[in-house]
Amino acid sequence: MIWARNRIISLVIGFLGLVLFDKFILGLSASYDYVKIVVMMCGVFVTLAVSLNLINGITGQFSIGHAAFFQVGAYTCALLSSSVFQSFSQKQPVLWLLFAALFGAIGAAIAGFIIGLPSLRLKGDYLAVVTLGFGEIISIIVRNQKALGEAYGKPVDKIHSVFMVWGLAVLAIAVCRNLLKTAHGLSFLAVREDEVASSAMGVNVTKIKVTAFVIGSAFAGAAGALMAHTKAFVTPQDFSMDVSFIILTMVVLGGTGSITGSVIAAIIFYIIPEKMRDLPPSIPMHVPVAALFGIIAAVIGMRAVQQKIHDEKLKAAGLYVLSMIGGTIVAFMLNLLLKAVPPLQATIIGSNLRMPVLAITLVVLMLLRPQGIFGHHEFSLDWVKGLFKRKSVATSGGIAQ
Amino acid sequence: MVSLLSLPIASVDFTTLPQQLVNGLLLGAIYALIALGYTMVYGVLKLINFAHGEVFMLGSYGALFTAWALGFGPNGNAAQGSLLTLVLMLLGAMAVSGSMGLVIERFAYRPIRNHPRIASLITAIGLSLLLQYGGQVFILEGKKQSIPEKVSPYQSNIDINIVKPNEKLLEEAKALQPKLDAATAAFKEKLKTEKSEFDLSPQGELLRDEVDKLTKEQRKLQDDSKKGSVLVQIAQGKLIMLAFTLVLMAGLTYLVMKTKMGRAMRAVSQDFNAASLMGININTVISFTFFLGSVLAGAGAMMYSTFQSAPIDTFSGMAPGVKAFVAAVLGGIGNIPGAVLGGIIMGIAENLVSWAGYSNYRDAIAFVILISVLLFRPGGILGSNKVEKV
Repeated sequence: MIWARNRIISLVIGFLGLVLFDKFILGLSASYDYVKIVVMMCGVFVTLAVSLNLINGITGQFSIGHAAFFQVGAYTCALLSSSVFQSFSQKQPVLWLLFAALFGAIGAAIAGFIIGLPSLRLKGDYLAVVTLGFGEIISIIVRNQKALGEAYGKPVDKIHSVFMVWGLAVLAIAVCRNLLKTAHGLSFLAVREDEVASSAMGVNVTKIKVTAFVIGSAFAGAAGALMAHTKAFVTPQDFSMDVSFIILTMVVLGGTGSITGSVIAAIIFYIIPEKMRDLPPSIPMHVPVAALFGIIAAVIGMRAVQQKIHDEKLKAAGLYVLSMIGGTIVAFMLNLLLKAVPPLQATIIGSNLRMPVLAITLVVLMLLRPQGIFGHHEFSLDWVKGLFKRKSVATSGGIAQ
Repeated sequence: MVSLLSLPIASVDFTTLPQQLVNGLLLGAIYALIALGYTMVYGVLKLINFAHGEVFMLGSYGALFTAWALGFGPNGNAAQGSLLTLVLMLLGAMAVSGSMGLVIERFAYRPIRNHPRIASLITAIGLSLLLQYGGQVFILEGKKQSIPEKVSPYQSNIDINIVKPNEKLLEEAKALQPKLDAATAAFKEKLKTEKSEFDLSPQGELLRDEVDKLTKEQRKLQDDSKKGSVLVQIAQGKLIMLAFTLVLMAGLTYLVMKTKMGRAMRAVSQDFNAASLMGININTVISFTFFLGSVLAGAGAMMYSTFQSAPIDTFSGMAPGVKAFVAAVLGGIGNIPGAVLGGIIMGIAENLVSWAGYSNYRDAIAFVILISVLLFRPGGILGSNKVEKV
């Protein structure tokens, strides 16, 4: 009962927060539309990350072509809203968004079913490559269709609704979370842990895998449909391999299997690259080079110490902070030194550093904490409390509420 | 309702098929070189090295910079390359790729070798992104470059007539030549008395029409004579490339089959732990495998950018990398002859797709082949067909 009440309260608070955000904070900011789009895109990426987490983290498959389902959803919606449902989408834009998400979800779910079937025979890296290839095939087909605007893209009506986008994100989170609480959800986890053992225990491995793919891709498709209306334009560039990798980065960084981890990582890794667009157009080259060496120094230092220290707590918190400080100092000193090297005085465009930063984060995190920021844990007050308690880590970690 | 799939209607010309097959073979040889790197690394580490395409990309930059250093750059003054130029470029590319391969193995893959495979796969993806986008920032601002054609002294084509053109018609066309010359001369003579070329007197027009008629007739005869003829043209440079490739592959086969290091590599690929118990230094073997694969990728990169005149930018490793990966899987990953066979099949398949008129889909064919191979024969053509039982 207490849990149910808490959940209702948090839902109400979240809803009020959204209303306040939509009515007041957005209204106050000067670039209203930009902020609104960023907020909605955060929602889209939260949905994407959570849905990929269902496939990769919870069911233990390895899909790296999530942008394909995203694309199918977006193009389904773009096609329908410009042909069959044109008048409807213009008369009832918000109601249409609901239908658009539904159609996008159906289209992507079909695609997910098709790609889910071969996944039964494949594992690990092979499955990864097939999903990647499937994404590329869809992308190439779209690029060559006149009806879909070829490589240029297709304009869509602009319909903005923070509620719909974040509503979808909440729905995705709720579905994943509640799935884990049911017996059915346990079989997802069982498949992740050991396919052979779970099938011996009577879990229908095939069905579970396909279900994961279908649900995950349906959410990605719905997110795609909403993104089409958010950006008011769909173009193949929005669904390239890089987007798949970005979604994957979010899931991995958050911790595969951790829903809250995906949510937090999705927001952070949408906003950081977005903010990096504002970097000055010319940065002297020695700055990023020094930063890179600082990161390398931090990684090497941390790995060296990590092997000597066995105290989990120290590893978890203090070490990261210490090595970050160390790395920063190294970067700072190097920067002063490298300034004197003439070839490094050339300037580069700041906003081009977005993807390298993402890639470095991915590699560094894999080297230092392959399980992601949250690992299999969920972010919650209990988990935070557990971090500061000395003894009861084992009990308060694991499946926290 | 809008039709969802609009494929262009194919038009096939069978007389150009042999040419396409030869082109496919030549392209496939390069894919095979890159595929060898994938296959060897997979053999010893069971890891798909996603960054291999980027090693290839860096190799083509190695070739480019070597060419620039030899005076073929934008401000260079070298006139014409020689075989030595090509060999130096090849060595430059191989050195860059090889050292890159070593660095990647040492600093990215070795620290997480004992983690789950997915972790190394994600690291590989991250590295690949890092090299692509980082390169875009730091290497020549990511602008498209290409290796100047004059580095290669072997520019001319070798023509092989498989079915000869109709000689009778050709002779007829030749016989028309005097008539045509005469008509042209007469027209030119007449032109001197005319006001301008565009304002002819009736007589002048007659003469002009005569020239036009004869020219058309001759061209038609020439075209007719070629109908049904089959001609294969091979650039000399591409033959050199094929020779280089064969030499490298022979060297690799020798290395893997006959030397001590090769035996160690085969041992590690069979059983990692047992090999290390037998006193094989695993780290050295793995580093060496990475080095070898990367060197081959560098050689492939130099040839791809020089003889196939592919433009170079930091993303240019992606497409050949993916195709070579498919080639490795197609031949049976971990299997060296399989990689070569797969590479050649991939090269030919790609050329056949554009030959059939679907050139927009030539990059998709790789994935179609990949998915069908994985679905129907996951072990590849030459690979062992082990099914993992559930």
